[in-house]
Amino acid sequence: MMNKKEILKLAKGFRGRAKNCIRIARERVEKALQYSYRDRRTKKRDMRSLWIQRISAGTRQHNVHYGHFMHGLKKENIQLNRKVLSEISMHEPYSFKALVDISREAFPGNRHIYHRPRKVDMSITA
Amino acid sequence: MASTSSTLFSLCSSFSAHCKISPTPSLSKPLSFTKPNFASSFKLPQKLAFSSSPSLPQSATVPKVSEIDAPAVAEPAATQIVEVAKEDEPKREEIFAVVMVGGRQYIVIPGRFLYVQRLKGTNVNDKIALNKVLLVGTKTTTYIGKPVVTNAVVHAVVEEQGLNKKVIVFKYKKKKNYRRNIGHRQPNTRVRITGITGFENYPAVTLDSIAKSS
Repeated sequence: MMNKKEILKLAKGFRGRAKNCIRIARERVEKALQYSYRDRRTKKRDMRSLWIQRISAGTRQHNVHYGHFMHGLKKENIQLNRKVLSEISMHEPYSFKALVDISREAFPGNRHIYHRPRKVDMSITA
Repeated sequence: MASTSSTLFSLCSSFSAHCKISPTPSLSKPLSFTKPNFASSFKLPQKLAFSSSPSLPQSATVPKVSEIDAPAVAEPAATQIVEVAKEDEPKREEIFAVVMVGGRQYIVIPGRFLYVQRLKGTNVNDKIALNKVLLVGTKTTTYIGKPVVTNAVVHAVVEEQGLNKKVIVFKYKKKKNYRRNIGHRQPNTRVRITGITGFENYPAVTLDSIAKSS
C-alpha cells in the first residue's frame, strides 16, 4: 500500500466512490486490511467450528454424540484432527462408520442415547 | 463404496521429524500424471481455503507418459497423448491415506500434488517417504492407526519449492498515527504423491464387518 495505484487495485469491488476516488479508497482499504488481519485469526476458529458441526452431524447419523465420539477417539489414541474427520465423514462413510464403532467400543456412555422425538407433519391438508 | 476420489487436501508436515530423503538419480523420462476430469469433482466449499487445486501441471505441452501404461516407452507422437490421457484415469489406485506433514494432517491420494510447509534440506526431484500415516483407506478396508499405521509409508516426490501467495499484514491503531504495512510470503513445498505402501499387515476394518455391525 505505497501509492495510489496499489491502493486502487486493492479497492476493486468496493462500493460507490470507494473504488474510484483515492481519498475514500484509502480509508476503506485500510479498514479492509485491518479486517483481513483480524479475520485470518478468526478463520481458524470458524473452520474448526464448521468441522465440529460436520463431525457431529455425521456421528449423530450413527446415534453418537460428538462429545462422546471424540472422547472415544482420544481413549483409543487416534490422533486424527477435526479437519480430516470432517472430510472423512462427508466422503468416506464406511471409514467413518468404522471410526464411530471404535469410539463406541471405547466409550460405553453411548449405549444409552435418548432419541429426541422427531417432528411429525401434523398439517391438516391431506 | 465411498469414492476416494472426491477429497482433495493440501497438507503440511514438519519434515525433520517424520520424513526421510533419498537423492534420486536423474530422471530419464519426464513423468507427469494426467488428471483431466478430476478437477471438476474436487470442488470443495469456498470456506475450505486450504485445499489445493488439482490443476494440471504446467508441462501440459510436454508429451506425457503414464508410468503405469508404458514404463519403457516415451513416445512424443501427438496421437499417443490422447490415448494415454484416457487410459490413465481409471488406473489410479483407489486408495487414500491421512498423513501428517509439517504439523498438519492431509488426506492424500496417489497422483495428486500437495502444498506442504517448506521441507528444509530437500531439493527438487527428491524422493520423500512420509512416515506418519494415520489412516489408510481402500475400496474395501480401512486401516485406522492408533495413532499411526505401523510400517505404512507414503512415497512422494518433491516437485517445487516456492512461496505462498503474498499476505499483507497491515497493523493500524486509530488516532495514534500508527501504521505498519508488511508483506509476507510463507515458503512452501509442492510434493507429488506417488504411492502408499506398507499397510497390509495391520489390523483392518473391512466392509463386511461394518455391514454386519450396522
